Amino acid sequence: MAKAIVAKNVVKRYITRVRKGLVRSVKKIIEALRGVSFEVRHGEVVGLLGPNGAGKTTAVKIIATLLLPDDGEVYVEGFDVVREANEVRKRIGLLLSVEKGFYGKLTGRENLEYFGALYGIPRSVLRRRIDELMKLLELDKLGASSRLYEEYSLGMKARLGLARALLKDPPILLLDEPTLGLDPPSARKIRSVVKELARNGKAVLYTTHNMFEAEIVCDRILLINRGKIVAEGSPEELKSKIPQMRTVVVYVRGFNPNDVERVAELVGVKPSLGIDEEGFAMLKFQVRKPEEVLNDIVKGIAKLGCEIARLRIEEPTLEDVFLYFASR
Amino acid sequence: MGFIEILYAETRFVWAGLLRRKSALFTALLYPYILTAFVILVGSTMGSPQLFVVRVGIEPVPFFIVSSFMLMSIMGVVDDIFWKPLFDEFMGTLPYVIASPVDRVLYFVALPLPRLIIVLFIGLSSVLPVMIMYYGVAGVYEAVVVMLLAGFGALVFATLAMCITGALYIAGGETWRSLNVIRPLLMVLLGVFYPRWLMPLTAQYLSWALPPSHVVEAVHRMLAETTGNAVQYFVLLGVATALAILYAPIGSTSIRAWERKKLREGISV
Repeated sequence: MAKAIVAKNVVKRYITRVRKGLVRSVKKIIEALRGVSFEVRHGEVVGLLGPNGAGKTTAVKIIATLLLPDDGEVYVEGFDVVREANEVRKRIGLLLSVEKGFYGKLTGRENLEYFGALYGIPRSVLRRRIDELMKLLELDKLGASSRLYEEYSLGMKARLGLARALLKDPPILLLDEPTLGLDPPSARKIRSVVKELARNGKAVLYTTHNMFEAEIVCDRILLINRGKIVAEGSPEELKSKIPQMRTVVVYVRGFNPNDVERVAELVGVKPSLGIDEEGFAMLKFQVRKPEEVLNDIVKGIAKLGCEIARLRIEEPTLEDVFLYFASR
Repeated sequence: MGFIEILYAETRFVWAGLLRRKSALFTALLYPYILTAFVILVGSTMGSPQLFVVRVGIEPVPFFIVSSFMLMSIMGVVDDIFWKPLFDEFMGTLPYVIASPVDRVLYFVALPLPRLIIVLFIGLSSVLPVMIMYYGVAGVYEAVVVMLLAGFGALVFATLAMCITGALYIAGGETWRSLNVIRPLLMVLLGVFYPRWLMPLTAQYLSWALPPSHVVEAVHRMLAETTGNAVQYFVLLGVATALAILYAPIGSTSIRAWERKKLREGISV
């Protein structure tokens, strides 16, 4: 896959002034990005995942030529975002906020026509393209064409935002939390369109807080925290990177709660004890490699004269991964 | 991307918005009359219409109708250039405008044109009937000249408006407050309601720096028929054009510097 976006050691500092007294103010420097490097290839959805203030939107803005980096280099299909901003702008589709970004007194179609004209799309092509996108995002069914933008629901606004991002059929999409606050049907629609676009060869950089979404939409995830990429890989690779234990959950019939210490001695790992809805004792063993202790657990519980009703192994979720790296 | 495409986009934007705000359209049609009535009523408390004719050399009603119309045309252009960045920031559309591969200077030149065309047509319902009433058939000719010169006056202000816009946005802070101070100052210095030749000398000097003030003076002189010499009109229009050309590179630099500043600081979403 060809490289769509290449970021090398990108640094961005915001300078703010904090007032001290009536007249005096002190300069405060906030490092939003501290040497961020990553790549996005055509045909993949790369998720940029991180807590609030991690630098996700700053990274997206720099790639979209809306913010100048203080240091480092960013290339979009080989074009420098600082020196060749106009070439970059021709190649990206952008969605920054689903809540606003259009003119309220214009209809969805008029808004798209306005931005299409600003993007330099010929009128005949533009009309056809708008029809296609209205259909693709099911905006036509919602009557978005003739309704004023100020009357749109949040879901419709998000769809229209994605339609604008796709208007010039760009090879690269930058989507900043495109499903934030949406109802499930709209969120699902947007996710499915994004996946389909990536299958058709587009490069998508997708920021989100939603772990579930990141897991199902993104081929690769970049975890960003305090302005640095702290981990990178597919959801599965990321899970395997954290030292977090897997959890072996054993549902035991006839277990005496006083035997927890005994089990710990037999297995070598102290379990936590709980009771499930059916009344089974629920022993949870936090282990690094479940396959190495599974036998001991089964034998240990059998020695206590108890019966195992069922057993399952819980893998860490992407949320665990996120929390692990965010806390470092 | 060409000027025509930007102009087309802006025309779509302005017309669609205006057609949905029928009250705004209706108010725009009435505005020259409202302003004229206001000024004449205020003026009557300080002097008689006859005194006005003696001092200015023009009947108050055609003078103020023409002046109101010129003010609407000129300030319409200025307002479009002044306020659009703030409006776009408020609507959340600024990032998408900046992220478009549009030449920013061409964009700012194209911005006011669609509204200006609409405003010029308003001359048909304000300047034209009043001029016919006062000057008969010759009034048609004068009304057409006034409308054309109003458009010209508005256009020559675009480059200076760009200089001011860029400078104000670079200065930062609450730009809208500064704009609310600068607008009335410009209105006074344009000399639309108070002919330049009656202004104090300092105000006259400041006024000369404004390209449309020369066009306004040409219109006032035409109405007052103080000169039969066409050369004087052409000199005034020439000075306006020269000033507009002089301000063009400064305006362009100012707008680009503002954009640069925005890109350094980040555009709020």
